[in-house]
Amino acid sequence: MSDVLLTVKNIHKSFGGLIAINALSFQVKKNEIFAIIGPNGAGKTTLFNILTGFITTDNGEIQFENKTLHHEKPDVISRSGIARTFQNIRLFNALTVLDNVIVALDAHSQTFYLSALLHTTAFKKEEKKHREQAMQLLQVVGLEKQADRMAATLSYGDQRHLEIARALGLHPKLLLLDEPAAGANGSEKIALKQLIKDIQQQFALTILLIEHDMPLVMDIADHIIVLDYGTLIAQGTPQQIQNNPRVIEAYLGKSD
Amino acid sequence: MWKKFSLALLLCLFVPYLGMSNSFLFEIFIQIGIFAVLALGLNVVVGLAGLLDLGFMAFFAVGAYTWAIFSSPQITSIFPSIAPFSGIWFYAFLPLAMLFAIGLGCLVGLPSLRLRGDYLAIVTLGFGEMIRVLANNLDHPLNITNGPQGITPVQQPPVTWIVDWLSIPHALATSLFFYFFILVLIGIIIVINLHLKHSRFGRAWMAIRENELAAQAMGISLARTKLLAFITGASFSGLMGAVYAAKQTFISPESFTLLQSIMILCMVILGGAGSIAGAIVGAIVITLLNIEILPALTEHLSAITHIDFSEYQRLIFGVILVSMMIFRPQGLIARKNHV
Amino acid sequence: MWNIFLELLPNVILGGLILGFIYALIAVGYTLVYGVLQLINFSHSEIFMIGAVAGIETMRGLQNTPLPGLIQLLLALIIGALIAASVAVIVERCAYRPLRKRGSKNRLIPLITAIGVSFILQDLVKLIESVWHQEFFITFPSLVDLNTAYQLPLNMHIQLKSIIMMIIAIIMGLVLYYIIHRTRLGYSIRAVAQNPQSAQLMGISPDNVIAKTFALGGAMGGIAGVLFALQYNTVNPYIGFMPGIKAFTAAVLGGIGSVPGALLGGVILGQLETLAGTYLPLFTHGDIGTEYKDMIAFLILILILLFKPQGLLGKNHVEKI
Repeated sequence: MSDVLLTVKNIHKSFGGLIAINALSFQVKKNEIFAIIGPNGAGKTTLFNILTGFITTDNGEIQFENKTLHHEKPDVISRSGIARTFQNIRLFNALTVLDNVIVALDAHSQTFYLSALLHTTAFKKEEKKHREQAMQLLQVVGLEKQADRMAATLSYGDQRHLEIARALGLHPKLLLLDEPAAGANGSEKIALKQLIKDIQQQFALTILLIEHDMPLVMDIADHIIVLDYGTLIAQGTPQQIQNNPRVIEAYLGKSD
Repeated sequence: MWKKFSLALLLCLFVPYLGMSNSFLFEIFIQIGIFAVLALGLNVVVGLAGLLDLGFMAFFAVGAYTWAIFSSPQITSIFPSIAPFSGIWFYAFLPLAMLFAIGLGCLVGLPSLRLRGDYLAIVTLGFGEMIRVLANNLDHPLNITNGPQGITPVQQPPVTWIVDWLSIPHALATSLFFYFFILVLIGIIIVINLHLKHSRFGRAWMAIRENELAAQAMGISLARTKLLAFITGASFSGLMGAVYAAKQTFISPESFTLLQSIMILCMVILGGAGSIAGAIVGAIVITLLNIEILPALTEHLSAITHIDFSEYQRLIFGVILVSMMIFRPQGLIARKNHV
Repeated sequence: MWNIFLELLPNVILGGLILGFIYALIAVGYTLVYGVLQLINFSHSEIFMIGAVAGIETMRGLQNTPLPGLIQLLLALIIGALIAASVAVIVERCAYRPLRKRGSKNRLIPLITAIGVSFILQDLVKLIESVWHQEFFITFPSLVDLNTAYQLPLNMHIQLKSIIMMIIAIIMGLVLYYIIHRTRLGYSIRAVAQNPQSAQLMGISPDNVIAKTFALGGAMGGIAGVLFALQYNTVNPYIGFMPGIKAFTAAVLGGIGSVPGALLGGVILGQLETLAGTYLPLFTHGDIGTEYKDMIAFLILILILLFKPQGLLGKNHVEKI
């Protein structure tokens, strides 16, 4: 089917005796906002780590745009169009805000070592282009005024925004957001919701979202899967999930 | 920026003026110059990419032995039909020395760079020692390095044109030549460093240093990028090795010890890891310490104690390293973005 | 050729065992510290050297007393262990702890500090010995009554001192096992190694335990030093370097973080090195000489790190992403 961007088939991951992901299969359609929810420890970030190549799945396969990705290295996967943010912020602290984004843009660079050595005209042209593109991405998340600050000096919320801008620098088709609303207050969450919708439109993105904030998820997600102890226990539209008894049980426990 | 540059330029031209009457001045600056380039090379590996290489002298040794073997009777003892190359070939052998150093860099780097920082340090230390042991022992079954006796005489590039031009004695002309030649090399290497630092390679190296996992997630290939940093540093080291061999006209395995690898590390750390100016300042301070300050201290305090301070370099370097790490890890000249 | 091989084999194996025990005791120090701090304590090789020097100085001090050789040796061992352990604790307190308190995640900094400490200790000992004795190549006074040689079957010669050394090493191994598995200290060390935060919640002070870990590892290293001095008779401030690297290799071979691994790795490495050092020159007619035997350890290190980094008995360390 041509509107499917990502196919995950029967992936399984265990660490010693602990099963982190259990025979998981799902599909993500193009331009969807696809949310993954579930109690803590359900394996959501592990799933992201598998999708981005930091962990290898024990078996099963992952197809992205007709490419088989499940044995590739993380840098290959990111250059193929999958970008992510991290649950525990992982910025390049000693680089400026702008440089953090440029690093991502560099991934699709055309210049060689020799050109960089000599600072050829072609090289300088690309540098300029990247700087401009990076500035534009910072504008999207509202950080353009902080471009020359060290990334470590940003506030927590700004750092989360920088992670998003940096991920966009990879020109991804699929964006993985790992708990982007963590630590955000009410108004920040509203802004975040809008930001997610905006970037999805502006960059024609498909977005995979791990989140604990239910109202936010229910509001913007097109499709939701629910994980519990690594197993898919429900999937569907926000409506369907909200009324699913297994989901309620997973979060709140059985009522006797 | 221009002020600093013209000040440096003035200093560099003032020295030869003084040096004409006191050639020891040339010696000091030549030593500083060689170590400055080495420090700049290690700065790329340790300071920018955050890879702790404790065997940096191995590349220096390879460069030195390359020129030394080919330009001395040593080559004839290996290949009886080849005569030693004359001094003018020095210029052609510089890129060759760099090439061999890069080759060794790949050999060392490919298995080691995927290891974690601590293990990388020990492995590079081991490689450095292995090169020294090899240099010391490759005089049998085939005499390649002439073992502990070392190799001499090593050819120097011709300076008769300077002798004729300025009407100065040969020895002085040689010093003058090496002084300016190394100065030019330093200039080129500084420009290369600046260019690399402000390019996607410099950014990638720093990204790896800051957060390896995030760097991978942003499309940076760890293996390739780390190797590039490693061989960039190696090439500078190999280059200066050949220059050193020509300057000294004699090399032996004792010139390439762990102590010197650590000394260069000291220069980078003291000056400020990641800072180009820092590497140069570190080289100046430590070289002066070795050549001038320690012997002077020994002499001045000889009435009170019979300790030869030059024998205690390890103590000095150790104290420098530990105190820098505890009190000022960013070094004397902190790179702009140290956190 | 085969005959020569067999003829030398028993003594080679014996020599390898003794060397292996020394490496094993040093390796324990590396593995204990790595277990609790994830730090390669570069300066541990100098702790070993300090034990050796302290042991020898003790022996020299007791030289003219009527005490029997065995008692002198035991005193040397105790003093060597104490001094080595003390220096290890001081190093931890003055060089490593301030860095830990700073909380920087930069892993190069402790490593560089360790190298610096290593250099400082080498030259400090040199300084002390030079001032005290005007020389720093120190010879172990011979303990005549321990030098009696015994003839064993299979053409093996063994000196009394070698027998004593092996007994001491085995006893230390058992003592170590007892400490790690049967005392509160060992339990605390293992707890902090696995999870410092949880250990803290259970009333264990990580700082305290870390200091004791250094002391324990230091004591073992010091004892190894005294045994080394007994075996090789001469020490100088730089003898720590090579055995240190080899012992670290042994710790990695056995599985860094695992004490039985360190012991096993040490014995294996000692054996391999002695075998290679004896037979390679023999069989290559001197082409590959004894100078290359140091490379054996290094080659093993590279191979292990490339193909089985968790070593023989270790577990894979998983980093949370």
